[in-house]
Amino acid sequence: MKILVTVKRVIDYNVKVRVKADQSDVDLANVKMAMNPFCEIAVEAAVRLKEAGIATEIVAVSVGPSACQEQIRTALALGADRGIQIDTAEPPESLVVAKLLAAVVAAEQPELVILGKQSIDADNNQTGQMLAALLDWPQATFASALALQEGRLEVTREIDGGLQTLSLALPAIVTTDLRLNEPRYASLPNIMKAKKKPLEVRTPAELGVALKAHTRLLKVEAPAERQGGIKVGSVSELVEKLKSEAKVI
Amino acid sequence: MAILVIAEHDNRTLKGATLNTLGAAALLGGEVHLLVAGRSCGAVAAQAAAIPGVSKVLVADAAVYEHQLAENLARLVAGFGKAYSHLLAPAGSAGKNLMPRVAALLDVAQLSDIVGVVSPNTFRRPIYAGNAIATVQSLDPVVVATVRASAFDPLPAEGGSAAVESLDATHDAGTSRFVGEELAKSDRPELGSARIVVSGGRGLGSGENFALLETLADKLGAAVGASRAAVDAGFVANDMQVGQTGKIVAPELYIAVGISGAIQHLAGMKDSKVIVAINKDPEAPIFQVADYGLVADLFEAVPELEKAL
Amino acid sequence: MSDYVHPYRDTEFVLGELVELERFCAEAGLHDVNGELVSAILAEAGRLGSEVLAPLNAVGDTQGARLGERGVEETPGFAAAYRQFQESGWPSLTAAEAWGGQNLPNVVGTAINEIWHSANMAFALCPMLTQGAIEALAHHGSAELQAAYLPKLVSGEWTGTMNLTEPDAGSDLAAIKARAVPNGDHYLISGQKIFITWGDHQMTDNVVHLVLARLPDAPAGVKGISLFVVPKFLLDAQGRPGARNDAQCVSLEHKLGIHGSPTCVMSFGEKEGAVGYLVGEPHKGLACMFTMMNHARQSVGLQGLSISERAYQQARQYARERLQGTRKDGSRFPIIEFPDVRRMLLQMKASIEAMRALALVAAAEVDRTAHAPDPAACARHQGRVDLLTPIVKGWLTELAQEVTSLGVQIHGGMGFIEETGAARHYRDARILTIYEGTTGIQALDLVGRKTLLNRGELLGDLLDEIGETVARLESAGPFAAQARALGEALAAGREARRLLLEGAEADAALAGSVSVNFLMLFGYLCGGWLMARSALRAQALLETGGDRAFLEAKLVTARFYCEQLLPRTQALLAAIRAGSGSIMALSDEQF
Repeated sequence: MKILVTVKRVIDYNVKVRVKADQSDVDLANVKMAMNPFCEIAVEAAVRLKEAGIATEIVAVSVGPSACQEQIRTALALGADRGIQIDTAEPPESLVVAKLLAAVVAAEQPELVILGKQSIDADNNQTGQMLAALLDWPQATFASALALQEGRLEVTREIDGGLQTLSLALPAIVTTDLRLNEPRYASLPNIMKAKKKPLEVRTPAELGVALKAHTRLLKVEAPAERQGGIKVGSVSELVEKLKSEAKVI
Repeated sequence: MAILVIAEHDNRTLKGATLNTLGAAALLGGEVHLLVAGRSCGAVAAQAAAIPGVSKVLVADAAVYEHQLAENLARLVAGFGKAYSHLLAPAGSAGKNLMPRVAALLDVAQLSDIVGVVSPNTFRRPIYAGNAIATVQSLDPVVVATVRASAFDPLPAEGGSAAVESLDATHDAGTSRFVGEELAKSDRPELGSARIVVSGGRGLGSGENFALLETLADKLGAAVGASRAAVDAGFVANDMQVGQTGKIVAPELYIAVGISGAIQHLAGMKDSKVIVAINKDPEAPIFQVADYGLVADLFEAVPELEKAL
Repeated sequence: MSDYVHPYRDTEFVLGELVELERFCAEAGLHDVNGELVSAILAEAGRLGSEVLAPLNAVGDTQGARLGERGVEETPGFAAAYRQFQESGWPSLTAAEAWGGQNLPNVVGTAINEIWHSANMAFALCPMLTQGAIEALAHHGSAELQAAYLPKLVSGEWTGTMNLTEPDAGSDLAAIKARAVPNGDHYLISGQKIFITWGDHQMTDNVVHLVLARLPDAPAGVKGISLFVVPKFLLDAQGRPGARNDAQCVSLEHKLGIHGSPTCVMSFGEKEGAVGYLVGEPHKGLACMFTMMNHARQSVGLQGLSISERAYQQARQYARERLQGTRKDGSRFPIIEFPDVRRMLLQMKASIEAMRALALVAAAEVDRTAHAPDPAACARHQGRVDLLTPIVKGWLTELAQEVTSLGVQIHGGMGFIEETGAARHYRDARILTIYEGTTGIQALDLVGRKTLLNRGELLGDLLDEIGETVARLESAGPFAAQARALGEALAAGREARRLLLEGAEADAALAGSVSVNFLMLFGYLCGGWLMARSALRAQALLETGGDRAFLEAKLVTARFYCEQLLPRTQALLAAIRAGSGSIMALSDEQF
């Protein structure tokens, strides 16, 4: 089985983002970048399938500027066999990414595509579902367990209030949730070997996909500062505030 | 053009988040339809029809929709979706699973987790785990979005009488199959990942008194933590300690009961979204970080709070 | 979020701008190594350090190693962390490919080791000692010993130890008493060794001890010491650990810090005699140890940097969060806004950046020696390694005392409370000026073997090179004040060298009396030299774009170093000028 796995270059999860003074976006200049944590889980899932003798080849794909080759190399160090960078100035919005990936799928013919359920920058949680729609493939989002059973993929999903298990015909799309696995660290020898693995660069034009904008980002603001705390006079007032003002219960 | 909201339900009851999503729809202006897709979901349709502000309830009652598989449901919604200005669903696991698939079938973007309506095509949504809020404008003919329920006031559940219309089109992609479900684990959540944490300090006076907090925590679906003072005093086990040398937590709601607020404790919980402190000492440092402080005897306040929830 | 994050930006700056790693690798024919690869390696090591090793640091402190029935039981969690560390291939970083190593430059290994020691110094001592054992065997072991032990040590499946010190033989190794008696194809070793770091543990299925002992016919003194390999488990016919050797840990020391690192009293040959194998030639054991000494001493110097970085990160975070000032409008502000807290933080930062620059530049000299194009260049670089090693060891570890102490100070009363964690770094740092040769020993090495023995030639070359940097500063416009400060410190260095060379013969006590001040003077001078070079590079990079926030901070930090730390050279020179007079004037009884 050939597996396609997607990796996105995002701000390192340890770094706290700052909004630009002109509110045009968050400030990512010279910020430490890393592989999206959910993508790490996707890569790990693919590598485990390969180690189990189920997958034969893992292709890691990233969409974005050449800097994201760094994250493809990380995927290669973790066990992917080759990489494809789809070269765009900025990472496009989800629907366009899904179209680009669909074009790669058409060329590569994998039986399984594993994606992170969302990236920790835009927090969209869309690309996998959109790719499934474009390919008319079945999807299992928020996967917490994967197993191959008689030519079908059995996936346990994290849903509100519990777990759901689905059986999918292949080819299929899976998006990963946190509990699917604990990603390994790349080993030193594998980081060195990753340099020698093939990495090809494709353009949206070659893939026949137009970079159409479906949304416009008007403004990015810092969230409202924590209000100075208040003292409440009674338990009932506290409950009222938690329900109507803080909206946490 | 009307707005379509996709109901969240379990074939028996309509989930409350649907009412909040309808609340967001009401801010957009226009007629609102509610889709109930499931199997033997007549009771849900009846609940839906009773919501004031819903002008029509669309019911797709068929075996293929029983488990709301995205493959089948997305085709159903996309089939008539272009007739609406907006397609909205609560941003729960069901909506997040379905709506991007619908959007892609309609060749439009999807806006996730909206927390504010600026105009009918412009919305506010959190990015970077809520560390920034983006204002995004849709350039598409149909707006497909998931709605963060807690950000919008719900519509009332009763008082309306919408028309109910059955849809007979059934879509079966035939590629996915429901195998099973494991729901409602009543176990208390893990301290590190709980949405709500109730923590006790030396003010509790004994390990037995932590039962008070456990009752409250079970009511809230919360985890129970403790300050180091409570751990050192032997009230509770080490693994419940929140603080610099214990667990670092950042839940949506942190309720500190009988905790004075030593720096080491604050280091473990200061990133919580909302902090409540209950302490009888009005000078306790915990009140400096608390969003809501209640100066009270915890042995009276905690049972009262538990009853009020 | 982890409480330690590798400061990759500064490491990459030093490697790129001061070491010029890419150019060196290209010239040395190391075509597989480039900045991109090193960044990827640093990033992954940084992750492992932050996420796996750093959280165990406090555990190691409070639940240190203890002696149990089966030997030393390491801190809970260390074994799993070691397995992850080992399986990821980190022990093989700089070792030769023949033994399964990755053959990466020493300077890259040094940059990576900074991470391990920052994350968890007690833990990182174990692979550090193993690296020493690898070097000893690689340089002096027979082909047979190398084949039996090196692949397992390089892979980290086994760990290594260094058994030198005895109760009566510390800094003075001439007093070593442990005995080795020939017995067929091996020797039987007996005797007691103390202060044996990671002398025993359960993390791996063998521990390989390198032990100094005397043969029966050995001459007295340091010329009668031989080096032996003594494995915890003897190897069977297939080379696997088999029978238990007669070598064991009989007790653990109770220490001020690094509780996670077991410091063992090792007893060899209590029963039938511990089986050992000679490494190198008889009576040449100390020479074998000298091979490793530069590396071991630079490694301990590096630990001074690492622990300082950890203390700085903790103090910085506290200073940003601790609200302890009230504005006129009643709102409260964090202590980082107080000028004196800023001074302390900047002193930590400037010290650390100077330490990192010196540690990596010195480590790169080891690579330049190994890859020198001709014997003259080789000798020149080896001379620089020899000169810088006692400065790296002595100055970095002495600075670490001050930096970790400032870390406690910034925390105020909370710093004195163990739970806060600042005190841990202060306690852990305290060993660094002591083990692997005290600061006094380093200073004697610097004034004696490294200066007087070559009539100050090595120092003269270094001073001339610093002079070139002063000239570049003078012609670079915005650095006039720094050029003056570095020029004055350089003059102090020249004067100190002159005083030593001219006075040592007439006054036997002079070298020893001034040695530590001499070492510290050259430490501050080297730091100032490299911070000045950093400032020149930062200025150039700023003019072509680059990371403004980082580069501007580098300029300010370099300026602070010049203003606040470099002037210490003048005070040190004054003390050196005073010579041995008062130091030797009291009788022993008058103390």
